[in-house]
Amino acid sequence: MTGGGGLSFRRGDLTAIGAVLLCALALGLVLWARAAGTDRVVARVYQEGKLVGELPLDREASLTLTGAYTNTITVRDGQVAVTYADCPGADCVHSGWVSAAGRAVVCLPNRVEIRLTGAPDVDAVVG
Amino acid sequence: MKAKALALCAVLVALALGLSYLERFLPLQIAVPLPGVKLGLANIVTLMALYFLGTRPAVTILGLRCFLGSLFGGGLSALAFSLTGGLLALGTMTLARRIPALSVYGVSVLGAAAHNLGQICAAMVLLGSVYVISYLPFLLAVSVLTGLATGAASSASFRALLAAGQRPIPTQEVSYAGNPR
Repeated sequence: MTGGGGLSFRRGDLTAIGAVLLCALALGLVLWARAAGTDRVVARVYQEGKLVGELPLDREASLTLTGAYTNTITVRDGQVAVTYADCPGADCVHSGWVSAAGRAVVCLPNRVEIRLTGAPDVDAVVG
Repeated sequence: MKAKALALCAVLVALALGLSYLERFLPLQIAVPLPGVKLGLANIVTLMALYFLGTRPAVTILGLRCFLGSLFGGGLSALAFSLTGGLLALGTMTLARRIPALSVYGVSVLGAAAHNLGQICAAMVLLGSVYVISYLPFLLAVSVLTGLATGAASSASFRALLAAGQRPIPTQEVSYAGNPR
């Protein structure tokens, strides 16, 4: 009756789901392949687009940033996380601990971004 | 008739705002610890507007919902996010609806995926960085689940609307006249 709009689940819907999952998988593989081969990972901390700190993941460290809000970034056991944030959603804290090169943790309200890059400088994509 | 359509648009804007407010209380973030993960309940309204009112009213409702939503909380960056995601989702669903092989479920899943893609694009522009894209594979996978959930909700509410005598707007290119479904 309504074109792409039968109201019951159809086989074509499985194709749509498959296509989305395939995109996710392909992109994930590409990102994973880019990250593979980097053994020493550095967390670069940017605020308002400017580099404000570099934390190698093999050394325990902690960094507190103030801006519109406050973020505390902690490096422990080869992983980095935002361990404290006073912004409304605290999405960055919910992102948890990350360690793989190519991953990122973002606090949008505070315009803070933590990019995980292989050392020393391989982030050619970032330009 | 015009007044009726206007009233219906206003009701749908209010409904979308209410739903996006409501979903802040759903602890989905605890189950899936990723920024930007939402059920996308307001997408049910977009879908409903698209099917029962047409593309143009759907864009109006979406724009008003995003604008008013950003006034209630979130500010300019929230507006940028919800508009980019919402418009990309709406465009995708407008096209997806023309694919006869898809039901509301498929259209909803594609819309949810497009919404996440749009939000990641907005984040890349806002942060001036491509690194945020590392979230996208996870968000796309999650969007299949949230898309199916909102698809099921849409399917149920569309059935109720049809039972109440509302007629969907046909897609422009394909005519389904004579189709008893």
